[in-house]
Amino acid sequence: MSTHIVPRHGKSFKERWYLSALWVGFRTTFGHFWRNILNTNAIDVLEYPEVMPNDITARYRGHHRLTHRDDGSIACVACFMCATNCPAQCITIEAQARIDGIDEKEPRRFEIDLLECIFCGYCVEACPCDAIRMDTNIFSMVGNARSDFIRTKEQLLATQGAYAPTHSQAKGAHT
Amino acid sequence: MSNVTLRIDEHTLTAPKGSLLIQVMLDNGLSIPHFCYHEALEADGNCRMCMVEIEGQKRPQIACNTPIKEGMIVRTTTPSIMQTKRAILELELRNHPVDCPICDQAGECSLQEYYMEVGLYDAHVAKSDKIHKAKHVDLGSHVVLDQERCVLCQRCVRFVHDKAKSADLVVTGRGATSVISAVGAFTGNGYAMNVVDLCPVGALTSSDFRFAQRVWFLQSDASICHGCARGCNIHLDHHAIKGGIDTLYRLRPRKNSAVNGHFMCDTGRISYKSLNENRLLEPHVEGHATSFSHTFSLLRRTLDDKSQTIVALVSPHWSLENLASVKLFCARFEIPLFGAHEASIEPSFADEWLRVADRAPNRAGLELLGIDVSPHARDRALSRAQVVLDFGHDATLSSMSTRYYFGTHPHSDAQMQLPVAAYSEESGHLINCDNIVQHYSGSVKRSEPLLSLHALLGLLVMEGAWATQPFWHATLIDMAPSLEGRL
Repeated sequence: MSTHIVPRHGKSFKERWYLSALWVGFRTTFGHFWRNILNTNAIDVLEYPEVMPNDITARYRGHHRLTHRDDGSIACVACFMCATNCPAQCITIEAQARIDGIDEKEPRRFEIDLLECIFCGYCVEACPCDAIRMDTNIFSMVGNARSDFIRTKEQLLATQGAYAPTHSQAKGAHT
Repeated sequence: MSNVTLRIDEHTLTAPKGSLLIQVMLDNGLSIPHFCYHEALEADGNCRMCMVEIEGQKRPQIACNTPIKEGMIVRTTTPSIMQTKRAILELELRNHPVDCPICDQAGECSLQEYYMEVGLYDAHVAKSDKIHKAKHVDLGSHVVLDQERCVLCQRCVRFVHDKAKSADLVVTGRGATSVISAVGAFTGNGYAMNVVDLCPVGALTSSDFRFAQRVWFLQSDASICHGCARGCNIHLDHHAIKGGIDTLYRLRPRKNSAVNGHFMCDTGRISYKSLNENRLLEPHVEGHATSFSHTFSLLRRTLDDKSQTIVALVSPHWSLENLASVKLFCARFEIPLFGAHEASIEPSFADEWLRVADRAPNRAGLELLGIDVSPHARDRALSRAQVVLDFGHDATLSSMSTRYYFGTHPHSDAQMQLPVAAYSEESGHLINCDNIVQHYSGSVKRSEPLLSLHALLGLLVMEGAWATQPFWHATLIDMAPSLEGRL
C-alpha cells in the first residue's frame, strides 16, 4: 500500500499564531451584532406562523404523497423501488394482487415513517411510475405520538400536490 | 475420458473431451448469456443467445451445442460478438412488455442481466407496436403463465417431457404469435413448480410466492427438505419486514447431483408454511402458557421421582445432534428410549423420481445411533408407562399416561409442552434414504428465541457444552464410528 504525503500549508508565524484569524472572525460577528442592535427594525425576520414562507421553490422536498392515474385509481404498483432505494429504510410496503383489471399489482400497505425519513427524495427518483412525489410543499408535520408520524397509504393518497399536473405522468412504464 | 485444453478469452482451461463448451464455461464461472440451455436438460440450441467466436470458424457459433476440441480458441467479448448478442437480445425483447415493476422475476431475471450487459438501450420498436398475448394465466399447480414475457426457450416444455414425464406444456402458434400453453390441467406429475425455477424470465412464476416479497430482500440458507427421506437440498428464502417477524417465503431446490439434481417436488416446496404458522412458542403446562423456569422445575421433579415409570419416545424427524442428545439425556436418567415406527411411512407418497414413502428425514440416523425401534418392546413399555417424554413423536398413548412433549408445533394431548427450534432455525446433520450424510443450517430468527432440542436438553442437565457444535461432532463419532469423516 502506497502513501501520499500531502504538503502542510500555513507554516508562517502569522498563520500559526491563530489570534489574528480569530480577530477576523470576531470582526464579522460583532459587525452583525452592532448593525442589528442599533437598528432592530431592519432585522430580516419572518413572523411564522402568522406569515408563511413564500419562497418555497418547485424543487422543495416536502411531505410525500401517492399519485393517482387518470382514472383516479392508485398509480403505485408496489414494485418496491422506493423502499429499496431508501437510505433510511422508512418505507414499508406489502403488495397484493390487484383485481380491478387496471393492473396486476398494488400495495395493500404503504407506510412512510416520517420520523425516520431524511427527505432525500430518492424514493421519487426511483419510482418508475411517478407514483410517489414530494411536491406538496408541506414542511411542518406535528403529532402527539410517534405513531402519528407513520403515514398510511390512505393518508398519502389523500394528500394533495401543490402544482399541476396532479396525476401520475408516467407513460408506458407499465400497463 | 481424456482431457483437452482450450482457450477462452484470456483463460486456459482443461476439461473432459466431449463436454459442451457452455458447460465448461459455466463450471469455471465464466459469464455466458443463455436462455434455453440448462445443465439438467439436453442442449436445445433454440435461443441463440450463447454465441461465441471460435477461431477457424466463419460465423459465430452457439456454445451450448459445441463440443470442445483440443486447442480450441474461443472469444466472447469481441466487438462483433457483442453486436451479435445485442441483436439477438433485441429480438428476444421485441414483444416483451417491460413490466419489471410488477414482475416477480425481477432481480433474478436473465433478461435483466443480459440487458445490462449487451442491451440495446434505444429501442427500435414503440411500445404501442408490440404484440400482446395472455397475461397472468393460472395454469394450476401454483404456476402462473405470462405469455408476453416468454422468450420461448422451451426449458419448461422439455422439463415436463423429459423429467416430469407429464408432457402437459406445449408450444402452440407460429412465428411471433407462438406461445407456451398447457394441455388440460397442468400437473407436472407433482413436480410442476420446478418450471418456475427453470424459467429464465418472468413467464412462469409461482402463485404461492406471487407478490409476496421482492427477491433481493430475501436471505437464503442452505438447508435440507424435511418432507421425506430423500432429503432434497434446498434454499430457505426468508426475510423479516420492518417491525415484522422473520418469515419463510419460499423453498427452492439447491443443486446436488448425488441427491436431487436441480429439482424438488411440489409438496416439499409448499411445506415451508407449517414452519411459519401455528408454532409452539412458549412452554405450556396443562394448556396454559408459563415460564421456562417453572416448566424446568416441574420436569426435574418428575425425573428425580423414582416411583414413576418414565418412558421416552423420539421421532426420526430430528437431526443426528438432536437424536444423540435425547439418547444421552435418557441414559443419564435411566429412561428407556424408543424410536419411531411405521406412522411416518406413506406408500402413496412415493414415486419413481424423488419422492420416497418414508416421510421422516432421518430414520437411517435413528437406527445408526442404536435407538430401539422394535414396535413390540415399545408398546409393552408404553402400556406400563405413567409418564411419557415425547420428543416429537405421534404415537397414540393409553389415557393412563401423562405426556411431556418437546416439539415445534402445539400438541393437543400433552400435560407439558416445551417449544423447540424447527429445522429452519438451527443446524444439524441428517442421513437420507441412500445413506448420504447431509448438513443443513437455518438462520430464521423468531421474536421469541427458540433453542434447538440439544441445547434445551443441555440446559436441563446443566451441560453448557451441549449447545456447541464441536461437542456433538465428537459425540456423534463416538456413538457411531462410521460417521467419521462424513459429518
